[in-house]
Amino acid sequence: MQPIHMPRFSTALAVEAYKLRRSLALLLAAVAPLLIAVFVFFNLVRMDKALPWLTTLQTSAAIWAFFMLPMSVTALTALVANSEHGPRAWDHLRALPLPRWHLYAAKAACVLGVVVMMSLALAVLTWLAVQAAGWWKPAIAATGSTDVQAYLLLLGRIFLAAWLLVAVQLWIALRYASFVPALATGIGGTFFAVVATSAKIGAFLPWQIPVNQLASDPSRSQLALLLGFAGGCIALVAMTWHLGRREVS
Amino acid sequence: MNFKLDLKFLHGLLYLLLKLISNYAMSHAIETQGLTRRFGDRTAVDTVSLSVPERSIYGFLGRNGAGKTTTIKLLLGLLRPDAGSARVAGIDIARDRMGAARKIGALLEAQGFYPNLAGRENLDLSRRLLCLPASEVDRVLEVTEMSVHGGRRVADYSLGMRQRLGLARAMLGAPPVLILDEPTNGLDPEGIADMRGFLRELPARTGATVLLSSHLLGEIEQTATHIGILSHGRLVLEGALDELKAGVASEVAVETDMPERAMALAREHGFDVAHAGDALIARFAPGKDVRAGTAALNRVLCVAGIRIHALAPRQRTLETLYRQAALSAAPALALS
Repeated sequence: MQPIHMPRFSTALAVEAYKLRRSLALLLAAVAPLLIAVFVFFNLVRMDKALPWLTTLQTSAAIWAFFMLPMSVTALTALVANSEHGPRAWDHLRALPLPRWHLYAAKAACVLGVVVMMSLALAVLTWLAVQAAGWWKPAIAATGSTDVQAYLLLLGRIFLAAWLLVAVQLWIALRYASFVPALATGIGGTFFAVVATSAKIGAFLPWQIPVNQLASDPSRSQLALLLGFAGGCIALVAMTWHLGRREVS
Repeated sequence: MNFKLDLKFLHGLLYLLLKLISNYAMSHAIETQGLTRRFGDRTAVDTVSLSVPERSIYGFLGRNGAGKTTTIKLLLGLLRPDAGSARVAGIDIARDRMGAARKIGALLEAQGFYPNLAGRENLDLSRRLLCLPASEVDRVLEVTEMSVHGGRRVADYSLGMRQRLGLARAMLGAPPVLILDEPTNGLDPEGIADMRGFLRELPARTGATVLLSSHLLGEIEQTATHIGILSHGRLVLEGALDELKAGVASEVAVETDMPERAMALAREHGFDVAHAGDALIARFAPGKDVRAGTAALNRVLCVAGIRIHALAPRQRTLETLYRQAALSAAPALALS
C-alpha cells in the first residue's frame, strides 16, 4: 500500500478541469460567445452609419445576459453532469476515499470558471467583431471611447448575478441522470425571462436576474445582483450538502 | 504482592484477548454481520453475514437480482445499511468510510470511464484523486498488459480492453481488497479465459483478496477458492470451495426404460433416488463408498428384471452445490 495522503479540494478541482479536455462542454464554451460576436459583426456591417462603442458593447452584453447566458448555462451544466451520468461514473467517484462534497463543489467551481472564461471570451470577441466591422466598412467604424473597464465591470456583475441560475441548473442536472429535467427547466426559465422581460418579479427569477444588471433603475439592478450572488452561494452550499449525502442507487 | 500479581495476570489476559481479537479481525479481509438493506417493501439484502478470508478469491454467486450488487454497494459505502455492519480490512465502513475505501479497489459493472479521454488519462484522474505517485499509472497498465493501448481514447476500446482498464484502475495504490462486479460480463470466450488466468494469479502476485461477483458458475468454479451463494438477498451457503464440494452427496445417474418402477424399488431398499429429466439420480451421503453403493443399487434393479442402460457417476461440481443450496433455501424463503 502507498502512504496515505489527505485528499485536497484543489486536486478534485484540477481533475474536474482536466475532464473538460476534448469535451462538448468546452466546445459550447467557445461557440456561445462567438455566435454573439458574429451577430454583432453582421449587425454593424448592415448599418449605414457608425454607432458608439458603448452602444455596441451594451448590445453584446444584453444579448449575453438576456438569452445566451441562461441557455448556455442550461446546456453547459447538463453536459458537465452528463460526463458522469453518461458512463455511469458516479459509483466509481463516490466510492473513492475522498469527501463527496469535493466532487460536487469542484463541479460547481468548474462551471463557474467556464462561465468566467465565456464572459472574457465574449469581451474579446465583441471587441474584435467591432474592429473587424470597422476595417471591413470604414464608414461604420465605432465612435467614441472604448470604456473597457466599464464593459468588463458590467460582464462581471452579470456573472455574479448568474450564480443562482448556475446553482439551480447544476443542481437539477446533477440530481437527475436524464437530460430532460435540466433542459426543460432551463428552456422554460429562459422562455419566461424572454416573454416577461419587464415583469417586476423578473428580479427574483434566476433566468432573468442577470439581464437585470442592465436595468435603468440602479436599485433593481442591486437587488438582482444581491439575490443572484447571495442566493447562488446559499444554493451551491445546499446543493453540495444534499448531493454529497444522497444515495445514488 | 498478590495485588501486583493479579494486575500482571489481568494485563497478560487482556493482551492475549486483544491479540486474539485483532488476529480474528485481520484474518478476514471482508466481514459483514447481519447486513440488511431494504428498498421500500423489498428486502434486497437480508441479514447477510459473510466472511472473506485474506488472500482468497471469493466467488460471490447468485442469480441476477439476488442482491449481489446491492451487497457490493454496501461494502463500498455507496449505500447505507438498514441494519448490520460491514468491515473491510478490520475497518467499519459505517464509522470510517474513507478509511475502508482506502483498502478497496473496485471494478463495478458500469466502468464509468470518460470516453473523450485516453485510457492513461482516465487512470491518471483516479490516481490524482487517490493522491498516488504518477508512476502508479504505468505500473497498473503493465500489470494488466494495457501499456500499449494506454494512449488511445477509451471511446475506441473494445469491451475486453475496458474491463482490463477497469481492473487497472481498481489496482491503483495496490489495495489489499479487490471487489470485482461481473468482470467477465460481455467478454468473448478468449477474453474470459484471459481474465480467468489473470484473476487466479492475483492473490499470489499482489497479495490482494478478491471478491468476485458473478452468475457464471463455471467461471467461479475455475477461479475461486471460497464461495458465498446469495439467494433472494440471503446468504444460503458459504465456505472453502473444496470443503463444500467434498461435503456434497455423490450422485450417480441411472438410465433405465422403467424409471418409475426402478425408483420405487430403489426407495424400498433404502436408496435416495429422484427424477432428473429422463434419468434417475441416486444420491450417496458424503463419506459413503459410492462404488459399493452403485453396485448394490445395480444388483437390486437387475434382480428385479429392470434393464439398466447406463450408470454414470456425476462430478461434484459447483453447479451441484449451487442447486442444492438454492433448493434448501427455497422452502425457508417460501415460509418467510
